[in-house]
Amino acid sequence: MLSIKNLHASVEGKEILKGINLEIKAGEVHAIMGPNGSGKSTLSQVLAGNEAFEVTEGEVTLNGQNLLELETEDRALEGIFLAFQYPVEIPGVSNLQFLRTAVNAARQHQGQAEMNAAEFMKLAKEVSKQVDLDPAFLKRGVNEGFSGGEKKRNEIMQALLLQPKLAILDETDSGLDIDALKVVSDGVNALRAEDRAILMVTHYQRLLDYIVPDYVHVLAGGRIIKSGGRELALELEERGYGWLGIKDEEAAAN
Amino acid sequence: MKSAPTLSSAFLKPAGESLPQPLLALRKERGKALVDMPLPTRKTENWKYSSRHLKLSDELANSLPAGGATTDAAAGGYRIVIRNGVVDASTSVLPQVEGLSVQRFADLTDEDAAELARSLDSTLDTRATQMARLNSARFEDGLLIRLKPDTVVDQPLFVIHEVTATAAGSAFPRIYVDAGRHSGMTLVEEFLSSGDESAMVDAVTEFTLADGARITGVRLVAEGQNIQHIGATGVRQLRSSRFESHCVGFGGPLRRHDLRVRLEGEGAECKLNGVVVTQDKQHYDNHTCIDHMVPNCNSEETYRNIAADESHAVFNGRIHIHKDAQKSNANMNNKNLLLSTGAEIDTKPELEIYADDVKCAHGATIGQLDDTSLFYLVSRGIARREASVLLTMAFINELVAQIPVEQVRNSANERLNQFFDDAFREA
Repeated sequence: MLSIKNLHASVEGKEILKGINLEIKAGEVHAIMGPNGSGKSTLSQVLAGNEAFEVTEGEVTLNGQNLLELETEDRALEGIFLAFQYPVEIPGVSNLQFLRTAVNAARQHQGQAEMNAAEFMKLAKEVSKQVDLDPAFLKRGVNEGFSGGEKKRNEIMQALLLQPKLAILDETDSGLDIDALKVVSDGVNALRAEDRAILMVTHYQRLLDYIVPDYVHVLAGGRIIKSGGRELALELEERGYGWLGIKDEEAAAN
Repeated sequence: MKSAPTLSSAFLKPAGESLPQPLLALRKERGKALVDMPLPTRKTENWKYSSRHLKLSDELANSLPAGGATTDAAAGGYRIVIRNGVVDASTSVLPQVEGLSVQRFADLTDEDAAELARSLDSTLDTRATQMARLNSARFEDGLLIRLKPDTVVDQPLFVIHEVTATAAGSAFPRIYVDAGRHSGMTLVEEFLSSGDESAMVDAVTEFTLADGARITGVRLVAEGQNIQHIGATGVRQLRSSRFESHCVGFGGPLRRHDLRVRLEGEGAECKLNGVVVTQDKQHYDNHTCIDHMVPNCNSEETYRNIAADESHAVFNGRIHIHKDAQKSNANMNNKNLLLSTGAEIDTKPELEIYADDVKCAHGATIGQLDDTSLFYLVSRGIARREASVLLTMAFINELVAQIPVEQVRNSANERLNQFFDDAFREA
């Protein structure tokens, strides 16, 4: 489904990704782990099409289509979804209006009729229950005044509504207490499907107890330096990143 | 040395002699005071950004004739059409409400006209509204709206100020609202135009609020691109009265509005909201001034400007807390959004505080659409253009939603959508 070959990317002239190679097939769940500053978030942002990052080399295809040639919104319409590490607060745009606009953009792209306000409200209420978000949040501004956990649940809610081909979860576990983590994980597990792939980016192993990946990759210094199965994550937890000869900046700072 | 330009004498020849004698006399007196009045220039502080947009060719000195067709206005309920500054009785529905009197200046008795003549201009700072003074020398008709004590009008009164610019010239609409104790009403003023010739509107509206009166003024400025608009609104508030102003303005060759509120009685409060959008080479200039004259008054002011293309928006917000006005509470907020690199916005909060126990807050920002928010929206498959419209609308949503008259809200939203269509058209 997703094929990344020798991907190099930089921000403000500084190279962050230095040759990423990754193949993800439909139905698979991949986890990318790595210390802070290794390029995990950059990879997510580059795949979603953030123009602040410049791709200098390499190629990325989604089901054979050159992803890097597509505008951000077209990537979303082709099935890329990024759950943000820091979802943006947008006062003045209601969550409901935002979600409906996004869902209708996808439906229009797929040749389906747009949903009217009443139809969408019904759907949104159902899905908000699935992530344990009070439907009252739908009326508020996008993420406005939401707690960290509520923002993450709102991200998963969007994924459930948009039904992407590839869901990229950027540090979706950060800032969550154990109850919220369970809710979010249940939402992500509900996304698992034969025709969908999930790419999780995380610093901690903890999330992987709830969303069990098929593959684990370690990203360091802008490259994937080790890949393995679920057991790789457990080993990382036990032995730290130092075991692989890389410095965890956060660990070093502590 | 070149002498400063002065007002052409052609502008001091009023038309319409059907006014009662005291008002004709007032007009004449005001006209005399304007002989050789220097026109504002770049060096005139309160016209610094707008003087070059003021184009007073002699043909604009003509009074536009009454007559012409009425364009679409978002009116409902009580509706009065003032065409080219003169009340059009045939298309107006004068309200029949106990305690409310709405009269044309021309229909006033000499006694009432004499009283009105003493009151006109009393709410304005004539030094700060030099161009609005021309209205007092030129008005040909007007509306005197009087509310008896405790009269609360059940629905808004719409005044449609329409200019039919089938020839070059000017119109000078005038309204005076005298609100008795504990009375209440909403006055909607819509400024519209038809015709293609260049024209000017110089409109003055004054409100006096007795103790406990609650008045809302809604102002929608949406004339054509051939119309220069100069407006002044003056408000005097006595004890425990409340005045709300909601202005929505669309740009033009020159749009200028001076809004002045004097809080003269303890416990008086005002809330002033304003939304301005400009595009192409349009110009819009809002000057507001709130005078806290006595203790324990509140003022709250929120203005938003959005400038696209090569347009220019100006906001000057003055708050003057006089020395006896202890426990004043004043809050002013002005945010501005530039949609293109060629657009310009100038904002100036001016606070003069002579009392020592006051709460006075002000904030002004100028920014662009936030890239992070834009990325978030487009990453959900929303087209960039639509995302930009959502974010721009978000900037003013709250103020539009607060407009207490549904017809004006709808009309404003329709015009705003048109503005966004143009402002975010494909390059």
